[in-house]
Amino acid sequence: MGGIYFMTFLQILIFALVALLAGIVTQPQFRRWLLMAGSVLAIYWMQPSMPIRYLDFWLPTLALALTVGAWYVTRPKTGEVQDGDQRENVQAGMILVGVVLLVAGLRYFGPVCCLTPTRPPQMLSVMVALGIMVGIGWGLGKGKAAWVWNGVSVLLIGMLIVLKTPAFAQAISAGLRGLAGQQTDLATAFDIRWLGFSYLAFRLVHVLKDAGAGRVPVLPLDEFVTYALFFPAYTAGPIDRVQRFVGDLKKPFQVGERWFPAGQRIAMGVFKKFALADGLALIALNDTNAAQILSPGWGWVVLYAYALRIYFDFSGYTDIAIGLGMLAGVKLPENFDAPYLKPNLTAFWNSWHMTLAQWFRAYYFNPLTRTLRGRKLPIPAVIFLTQVTTMILIGLWHGVTWNFLIWGAWHGVGLFVHNRWSEAFRARYAAWEGSPRVKAVLNGAATVFTFHFVTLGWVWFALSQPGLAWDVLRKLAGG
Amino acid sequence: MMTKKIFTPLLVFSFSLLFLLTACSTDMNDAAVTAVETYVQALADKNADQMIAASCAAWEETAQLELDAFVGVETRVENMACEAAGTEGVYTLVTCTGEIVATYGAEDRDFPLNASAFKVKEEGGEMRVCGR
Repeated sequence: MGGIYFMTFLQILIFALVALLAGIVTQPQFRRWLLMAGSVLAIYWMQPSMPIRYLDFWLPTLALALTVGAWYVTRPKTGEVQDGDQRENVQAGMILVGVVLLVAGLRYFGPVCCLTPTRPPQMLSVMVALGIMVGIGWGLGKGKAAWVWNGVSVLLIGMLIVLKTPAFAQAISAGLRGLAGQQTDLATAFDIRWLGFSYLAFRLVHVLKDAGAGRVPVLPLDEFVTYALFFPAYTAGPIDRVQRFVGDLKKPFQVGERWFPAGQRIAMGVFKKFALADGLALIALNDTNAAQILSPGWGWVVLYAYALRIYFDFSGYTDIAIGLGMLAGVKLPENFDAPYLKPNLTAFWNSWHMTLAQWFRAYYFNPLTRTLRGRKLPIPAVIFLTQVTTMILIGLWHGVTWNFLIWGAWHGVGLFVHNRWSEAFRARYAAWEGSPRVKAVLNGAATVFTFHFVTLGWVWFALSQPGLAWDVLRKLAGG
Repeated sequence: MMTKKIFTPLLVFSFSLLFLLTACSTDMNDAAVTAVETYVQALADKNADQMIAASCAAWEETAQLELDAFVGVETRVENMACEAAGTEGVYTLVTCTGEIVATYGAEDRDFPLNASAFKVKEEGGEMRVCGR
């Protein structure tokens, strides 16, 4: 369970230039097309190689198809769309098809092949596949019944579950290998490395849910695709809200006033990610060095290294994404707010991977809370069920394994305990408001405690087997 | 209107170009040489996925074993030059000069590429390495 897959230094540089170019272009339509086309090209370029033939081309293509499909089912019926908007959508669609065919066509240009890690498939198969995708989308779009909207959401979540569950992922790999004419018995659960799909699925579900509730305006295709595939945030968030994102796209923008803060943010992110995180990775806890821990002291060193590494890795990436977004005129939301300096677990989860927590709060936690309260369950039971199940789902979002489940439960139970503790000691806390020194000492102790609770939880997150994680915890305690 | 005037002929031209490209065929020998060079470079780069992409299905497992032999050592390709060297049944034979240099500690060891010819054939629309 290593660091996040991320852009290379060259990719960051190219993306910064593209974002800068988009920021300089003053014609709004061209700016949107540039960001859209740039984002589509980026998802092909960033997609890592896989041992299944041509999958590094098909998965980004499928990501694009799912995005266009989600847009198509959420758009109003033809009669409600202005002719001008219809024309813009057709032009945007042509550009998308052109970009896909361009990427596929690079297989014929030996010296500059390829944008994908391996040669794309034959052009004929690409055109047939595009035709099939358009046909399916056309058929789905004919019916605007709620089942189509919900069905697409269920499909996306289902795909996420299948890809994150090792047994299913291995079976899918075997099936795809068979289709590609490869040996199926060499399939593993790690063959399918679909870059950014976890985040894409959540963006599309957000749009589908909000569109169903009438909270999303009619969006042109180029804005929708740019939102879903926006290259700075594609691989690891932040998960922005479409209403906020397209607002930025529509605003008049001059990069001149933003290039310095954007550059600062990118530089900070590069330092955190490539210097700090990658340096800490040399000793941070992993499956290999876990078995080599011989003393509690060294155990704590590698665990602290992991805690810092994952923070610098993830927050560094977010800084780069936000900086690139600023260059392009999009102010992406923050994802971290000094999480290790928070005095309790609730505050930690309001400051770590904030956009993911907000997504789960909007589409799972709040609806579930309303449902359970409607059934007149005791409040503590409602809190327990909602918090623990939400955190377990957040754990499983990373991968459907026992370790991620336990990590989620660790935080869910921790949140519940903090909730009950706060409730029980509310009066006493109020009494301490008048004693700044006592309050400062208690806050300090609480911050240290919270940091160590979270850090111990990382043992489950960092390692692949529950038994290995348990061994490490025993070693940390001197066992 | 102006955009439409540009768009339509541009689109027609682009599709025509793409159709022409699909009709173009690369010389089989050149493709076989490229497949071998890709395979060898991927082996030196320890890029399992690229090696598999350049391998026939039946050779995949052996390609992985070749890669495993270099785990933990630094490797690089030097002076690689490959050329087609005839056929053997359905296979195109490719011979190479140059070597893979593996660094064991402070010592370099050469693995010459001319030890045996590579067998290449078309599989799944691509020329792929099927053995030596």
